[in-house]
Amino acid sequence: METLVDLGGGLLAALTPGNLMWAFLGVVLGTAVGVLPGLGSAMAVALLLPVTFRLDPTSAFILFAGVYYGGMFGGATTSILLNTPGQASSIATTYEGHKMALAGRAAQALGTAVIGSFLASVVGTLIVAFFSPVMVSFALNFGPGEYFALTVFSFVAVAAVVSGSVLRGLTSLLIGLAIGVVGIDGQSGAPRFDFGSAVMLDGIDVVIVTVGLLALGEVLYVVARGRSAPDFAAIRTGRPWLSRRDWKRSWGPWLRGTALGSTFGPIPGSGAEIPTFVSLGVERRLARRRAERRGDPQEDEFGRGAIEGVAGPEAANNSSAAGTLVPLLGLGLPTSATAAIMLAAFQQYGLQPGPVLFERNAELVWTLLASLLVGSVLLLVINLPFAPLWAKLLKLPKPYLYAGITLFSVLAVYAINASVAHLVILLAVALLGLVMRSFGIPVAPALIGVVLGPIAETEFRRALAASSGDPSVLVGSGISIGLYALVVVAALVPIIAGVRRRRAAAKAVPARGGERETVS
Amino acid sequence: MTVNGTEKGVPAQAGAAAPEAVPEAGTATEAAEPAAARAAAEAAAPDPETARWSGPARWAVPALATAVGLLMVWGALTVQAPPNATRPGPGFFPGVIGGLLLVSAVCLVVTNLRGRATGAANALEWFEARPVLIVLAGLVAHIALLEFLGWLAAGALLFWAVAFAFGARAYLRDAVVALSVSAAVQVGFSLGLGLSLPGGILELVL
Repeated sequence: METLVDLGGGLLAALTPGNLMWAFLGVVLGTAVGVLPGLGSAMAVALLLPVTFRLDPTSAFILFAGVYYGGMFGGATTSILLNTPGQASSIATTYEGHKMALAGRAAQALGTAVIGSFLASVVGTLIVAFFSPVMVSFALNFGPGEYFALTVFSFVAVAAVVSGSVLRGLTSLLIGLAIGVVGIDGQSGAPRFDFGSAVMLDGIDVVIVTVGLLALGEVLYVVARGRSAPDFAAIRTGRPWLSRRDWKRSWGPWLRGTALGSTFGPIPGSGAEIPTFVSLGVERRLARRRAERRGDPQEDEFGRGAIEGVAGPEAANNSSAAGTLVPLLGLGLPTSATAAIMLAAFQQYGLQPGPVLFERNAELVWTLLASLLVGSVLLLVINLPFAPLWAKLLKLPKPYLYAGITLFSVLAVYAINASVAHLVILLAVALLGLVMRSFGIPVAPALIGVVLGPIAETEFRRALAASSGDPSVLVGSGISIGLYALVVVAALVPIIAGVRRRRAAAKAVPARGGERETVS
Repeated sequence: MTVNGTEKGVPAQAGAAAPEAVPEAGTATEAAEPAAARAAAEAAAPDPETARWSGPARWAVPALATAVGLLMVWGALTVQAPPNATRPGPGFFPGVIGGLLLVSAVCLVVTNLRGRATGAANALEWFEARPVLIVLAGLVAHIALLEFLGWLAAGALLFWAVAFAFGARAYLRDAVVALSVSAAVQVGFSLGLGLSLPGGILELVL
């Protein structure tokens, strides 16, 4: 009950004209960025981060929340219309969504995606509102040892589960951790890896790393691929109105997708991809069973553009996007690249997410949660009528599009400190990003490493200092032992899956790289 | 061969789903056929995150991991800890990271040497160096000239160079677009957010 009162208070704060404008701007920007292939909402938040220095924290977070949700929806639009997911969480939508578009039902696919996203965002946000305080009261028992275990858990989970290859994921994570140790050591004050440069003493700013790896690295990668990079060409759509039959077929998948997304979202490392594929698999199986029961194979439309295959995954990715906010706000633990950048944003304002945030900045937290609700409503209002318009964004000439992204990347980094030296670091990080992308090394683990690495180091050394060097403090409680057990499970699952896949691939004659088959 | 985009695993997935995209005889719709054909065509492109490396380029990532690993270990050994620092000191974490990076470099080398025969390989033959160098040159020029020329000119130059690298050849139109974008950013930022971008020589002239 108290939660509802707090949320109501937040809603009143979020509904000021100024904040509404930021939410609106965020949703529009997020959708725009989500529509463009290769540019996820993580990048949008990274580029906006320095720009929002002059805003008060509340407005900035309202803007970010809008971008986050908008990006989720924008990705669905291109998945359906162009078979090109704007980000990983919309991959599952492409299968049935694009087939619906080819069958002339693009409008209905967009409609079910928008409404499903809306329902899932609202439910997901309510779950965050109710569960973050629970997470907080749990986290109050945490000491440095437990926090360290938690960071180790999210390192392994992100590197092993989200990446295609465990080894490459870990390499990426370690490179991120290496970037994270540059600068003055917070515990002892010793300078590390500064190479005699005063700029390096402050460490490498998270904004530089995110903009370099995600935005500028992407520009270099696309230009390096030249003609082999995908081209954009839009499909015509109508207005996304659903018929009564579409509604009837959609509401089940919406609810199931929402439930799946909210369950997986808060788990570190599961990301938004896994629930979308689980949802697609569930809907496919249910459709097959329904068709068998009725004795009519036409009933199962999977493979020919089934609306269930759009409604489920789209609800799942939005509710899991909301779910990732539970560990972010409650524990200060980012579980996705976007969440990592949001954590960096909190730190820019001198706020540390976690139990303390709820005590000291309760107003900000509740306004943020309420603005997520406002954002979902705006998402529905903006995107239901205008979804086809967004697709036109892809007609923007590619040279200008990428030139604009480059300009904004440079601007975002220069704006941090008006320092040219930061631009030199940006260039180096962008080259690293190009190398990583060219060789198929995922960049998300590196980002998590940069953001969480310093936290892990501080907690680790604090724990050992408190126990005067006795390492048993690290495994001194049930919580940390449980977390390390989960680390082992998280590390083993993809390895076992990999072995099984390799065996299956050895049997099948033309080996196909179906990476996430095991999931769906 | 082509390497698919950053939207990882997409064509690989499309390839995996291809058999299902061809429905039972008789129910094949017109819509499904192009989709299936497209999916089959895309099946040739592997997921870049799992494609193995081949050619001389395959040593690049292990070399990078080794270099960063050695740097970390070197830093860990040479860092000057204040005498009153608690243990583990400032060198501990870099040492562990460096050690693990060296281990992962060894694993990457082993993976390269074993080089499983299945699956397509990524030998970087799609990599086009010229446009990349143009973008990099644009960035270097921008960084070098930013404080001298000012944001307006340096930003426009960067925009123009990147557009050129991406194949824009309407030089005059590109220059007009570049100047207007750069100017819009400068005006928007100084007026809207109170952020001052360097004026450069234009400030002296005006």
